[in-house]
Amino acid sequence: MSYLLSATCAVPAVGAVVTAALPAGTGEARRRTTKAVALGFSVATLGLAAAIAASFQPGGARYQLTESYSWIRSFGIDFSLGADGIGTVLALLTAVLVPLVMLAGWHDADPSAPEGTFESKRRTQGFFALILAVEAMVLVSFLATDVFVFYVFFEAMLIPMYFLIGGFGDRAGGPDSARQRSYAAVKFLLYNLLGGLVMLAAVIGLYVVASDQGLATFSLPALTDAISSGKLVIDPTAQRALFLGFFFAFAVKAPLWPLHTWLPKAMGESTAGTAVLITAVVDKVGTFAMLRFCLGLFPDASKTFAPAILVLSLIGIVYGALVAIGQKDIKRLVAYASISHFGFIIMGIFAMTSQGQSGATLYMVNHGISTAAWMLVAGFLISRRGSRLIADYGGVQKVAPVLAGTFLIGGLATLSLPGLAPFVSEFLVLVGTFTRYPVIGIIATFGIVLAALYSLMLYQRTMTGPVKASVTGMPDLKARELAVVAPLVALTVLLGVYPQPLTRMVDPAVNDTLSQIHRTDPAPAHPVAATTGGEQK
Amino acid sequence: MNAYAPILVLGAIAAAFAVGSVVMASLTGPKRYNRAKLEAYECGIEPTPQPVGGGRFPIKYYLTAMLFIVFDIEIVFLYPWAVSFDALGIFGLVEMLLFIATVFVAYAYVWRRGGLEWD
Amino acid sequence: MIATHALAAAGGNSPSIPAPHIEYGQLSPMLVVFGAALVGILAEAFLPRRLRAATQLGISLAGLVGGFVAVVVLAAQGHASTRAGLLAMGSVAIDGPALFLQGVILLTAVLAVLTYAEGRLEPRINGHRIDAFAAQAAAVPGGEQEREATREGLRTTEIYPLTLFAVGGMLLFPASNDLLTMFVALEVLSLPLYLMCAIARRRRLLSQEAAVKYFLLGAFASAFFLFGTALLYGYAGSLRLGEIADVVSGVAPVTPALAVTTQNDALLLIGLAMVSVGLLFKVGAVPFHSWTPDVYQGAPTPVTGFMAAATKTAAFGALLRLFYVAFPGIRWDWRPVMWGVAILTMVVGSILAVTQQDVKRLLAYSSIAHAGFILTGLIATDRRGVAAVLFYLLAYSFVTLGAFAVVTLVRDSKGEATHLSSWAGLGRRSPLLAAVFALFLLAFAGIPLTSGFTGKFAVFQAAAGGGAAPLVIVGVLSSAIAAFFYIRVIVLMFFSDPQPSGPAVAVPSALTATTIAFGVLVTLGLGLLPQYFLDLATKASIFIR
Repeated sequence: MSYLLSATCAVPAVGAVVTAALPAGTGEARRRTTKAVALGFSVATLGLAAAIAASFQPGGARYQLTESYSWIRSFGIDFSLGADGIGTVLALLTAVLVPLVMLAGWHDADPSAPEGTFESKRRTQGFFALILAVEAMVLVSFLATDVFVFYVFFEAMLIPMYFLIGGFGDRAGGPDSARQRSYAAVKFLLYNLLGGLVMLAAVIGLYVVASDQGLATFSLPALTDAISSGKLVIDPTAQRALFLGFFFAFAVKAPLWPLHTWLPKAMGESTAGTAVLITAVVDKVGTFAMLRFCLGLFPDASKTFAPAILVLSLIGIVYGALVAIGQKDIKRLVAYASISHFGFIIMGIFAMTSQGQSGATLYMVNHGISTAAWMLVAGFLISRRGSRLIADYGGVQKVAPVLAGTFLIGGLATLSLPGLAPFVSEFLVLVGTFTRYPVIGIIATFGIVLAALYSLMLYQRTMTGPVKASVTGMPDLKARELAVVAPLVALTVLLGVYPQPLTRMVDPAVNDTLSQIHRTDPAPAHPVAATTGGEQK
Repeated sequence: MNAYAPILVLGAIAAAFAVGSVVMASLTGPKRYNRAKLEAYECGIEPTPQPVGGGRFPIKYYLTAMLFIVFDIEIVFLYPWAVSFDALGIFGLVEMLLFIATVFVAYAYVWRRGGLEWD
Repeated sequence: MIATHALAAAGGNSPSIPAPHIEYGQLSPMLVVFGAALVGILAEAFLPRRLRAATQLGISLAGLVGGFVAVVVLAAQGHASTRAGLLAMGSVAIDGPALFLQGVILLTAVLAVLTYAEGRLEPRINGHRIDAFAAQAAAVPGGEQEREATREGLRTTEIYPLTLFAVGGMLLFPASNDLLTMFVALEVLSLPLYLMCAIARRRRLLSQEAAVKYFLLGAFASAFFLFGTALLYGYAGSLRLGEIADVVSGVAPVTPALAVTTQNDALLLIGLAMVSVGLLFKVGAVPFHSWTPDVYQGAPTPVTGFMAAATKTAAFGALLRLFYVAFPGIRWDWRPVMWGVAILTMVVGSILAVTQQDVKRLLAYSSIAHAGFILTGLIATDRRGVAAVLFYLLAYSFVTLGAFAVVTLVRDSKGEATHLSSWAGLGRRSPLLAAVFALFLLAFAGIPLTSGFTGKFAVFQAAAGGGAAPLVIVGVLSSAIAAFFYIRVIVLMFFSDPQPSGPAVAVPSALTATTIAFGVLVTLGLGLLPQYFLDLATKASIFIR
């Protein structure tokens, strides 16, 4: 048994404890030690995650590097981890983004930062420890092969996330920013907690159903195998109820329209780094879990509900994009853009074609990288001027060309410009959807047009035009900021032209998922896929 | 149902007596009210019109009543024990001594705390 | 016990009373605690004042720890499993659930007694250390005698023997195997509690009001219990839970003397309902909950913690035994009613908690909601349900004790600052304490990796497995409502500005610190590695008949 996976999850957890326990103090040296320690742990995690990706064999078993430790025997719970292609890729994404988020938020928790609501003496320790705690919990969620373990960490990550949102804001908050922020944090927590509790009922229900048929376990591979081989039969009504229980939690987390309303608030009020953690890392757990748990455990119910979910995701795509166009606040604009993108991801998953699901998985990675670039540069911009309002900016490209340039790349990636990473995934999702649901595919394509509108309009209104008085003398990106943005931009370009390493890892897992739910791609010879789409296996 | 008939009759008689007494008293008794008579009757203690903190209940009344009850209950247990002393034997003796000792502990507490001093 | 015998003898022909057989060794947990209580009263009577507080603490700890050791020894001897049996002529049971709950109650009491002895929180008066209890309980609040007693630095050290008596009753309560013993246990645990509620040092009127309310409503509940007992005796011709079960299932012969009433279902159902009312009152289930917020608020906070943790444990133990030993045969009659009670308790407790402005009242409503969650486990009516309830009680007791211990530390010049508005910004003033309290709140809310989650998961799983899936859904939804007010407190502590004249956090002595630390330890331990205790609860989940 290899210990690679548990080590990957343990390093940030240990890092969180160590960072939190570092001596308090307001001196610059003390703070720098804290930050360096935290960054060290996150880089070590990145190394381990890279080792997972390197030792993962795309053609091998579905779950590799598996580990299992008895945890709560009474409930049939093992702390078992295993890496499949999808989980590995997302774990790697997490491990890449966290050090960058830390670097980007290097000064977000300094005492000189806007008066924070978190207690000040241990502010720095708290901020970095919370980020590491989130990372550890997200990694466990991506690598868990036990439904209960997944649930526990899926739910527990809300707490550090809650403190990150509520405790640390950016410089741009208004006079009542503390109140707004705590409202955002509470809204985030309540939405997700409700989702999680509904899922808890479903988790218990699943266990009861399974143990009634002699399968008293939470082990995901055991359950999915039993379901796909017909050894475990969940009656259709129960299956639909359980599916909805799981799906509700994931749809809140993802977030799917109409459960999205917490996201703009949370992303708008928190620091840019936290916003990236939310949208690029934590929310991915939701879409990831739809793919892994909803489809794997409840194949029939997934097929029943797929059309309805597709319609919701379509609404999300269009709604998110339209609202993004109307935003006055940069961070909220990015948040609504993300809602639109999550619509694409969910659509790709529930189109139930191999292109759709591969595309959705790639989309999770690409959206993570491109939104991180876009959001973090926006964060740098906001930290310079102290305002989140688009109207306060103008002509930035003349004073800070590098900043403007990277911001443009982030925006272009968001609108899926060919050659940049998101294009590949968006294309796959649309193709995958189109083969089964052509009408939905066509409408979704308009989402791209709208994306071009909001991202280019944002660029135009903030970066071009005459230099506004408030912007004059704005410094360009510093070395630290460049170090954050450069890898993201590089990845965006690299994965745009050469996505094969990712697809090679993802595809087997996707095909496996599809075969579990007894779904095959519609044959290209039959373009009228709607009839096969309605068919019940 | 037959088994309950005597109980019902007893209840009826009791109710009739209670209601009857009150009615009879109000019909036949002389009515000469004064201040003391109009006050609520509370066994042995002053009625309590004073605001809280202004006066005290005579606590001694309760002490006497409580001590009475304690020893009353002791007797209640001693009596059946005495009657069947033969059957219970040494076990009964030991248990009863323990019981009396327990009651004595409470008594000792009351005594040491000055509960038996009237003034 | 003698009285039971007289009744039993009346049914037979023998005129003499046979000498009963008492297993002193197996009753030792209770005997040790009661013995310590008597010693405590003697100490109160004969020791000089200055020695009393320390001696009482020593006696209490010795008694409680001794009792706990006795429980552990008995369990190790197999009395929880293979050698489980009935004691004292069948009126007391020694079995898994009894020993498990006795252990929980004793440990809870040890920690509670530590918070009683805390003398660092109140400012010294004339050089005397004082605690949370009235200088002289009999003095009129605000009166001259009170001032004098306060000046002299008096303390109501009677709180220790009273607690021991209450603990003795609580130990007997879940172990009592006949209704009369259960009633005696109920009274033995209740009467000291009524007194203990009344002797807060600060806000004495509120405290006395709480005690009067608790006493009056408690007396009502006891009367219900007793009346129900009488009806059940009329139905079954016996007070033994096992014999009642035999009559319910029709295997027992009818007692000739009671031939007219025996097996009259009206007696059975009304009797069961009334007995249940008495017990549901003690656990604080809706609609018998109305005393809880007032009493929790008014009682001295260390007593509130003790009461919330230990009383609930004992009462649920009795409730479990009653339903699982005496009335499994008519579960189709009582289950729907308990469904209703559980749903009402969860929903009402959670919803009413949302509007509370006082920490102690908030915790009171939260305890009501938790009673509802525990009831869902009780409704499962199988071994898993028992194990889940046992585990939940263990988990809940320590979280509650810890939470109330934290409440004692947040103080302003008028004593404990329990109004929520004064907790604003606590996280900035005293991050460690706020973090600990947040942990307890998260455990109450049932967030994973805390004991609260494991407990909730266990009872919900048992309920779903026992065919009560709708209850689980109601439970989950009311957990979501409940989460709202726990989070509200966390927001207040961490994300709000502290008031300029807000409370300060007192630095406790090692006593309270031990209690809080133990609470944290158990909360995390049962959240991260619950297996051992789940096993223990599962092993302990068989009732002897």
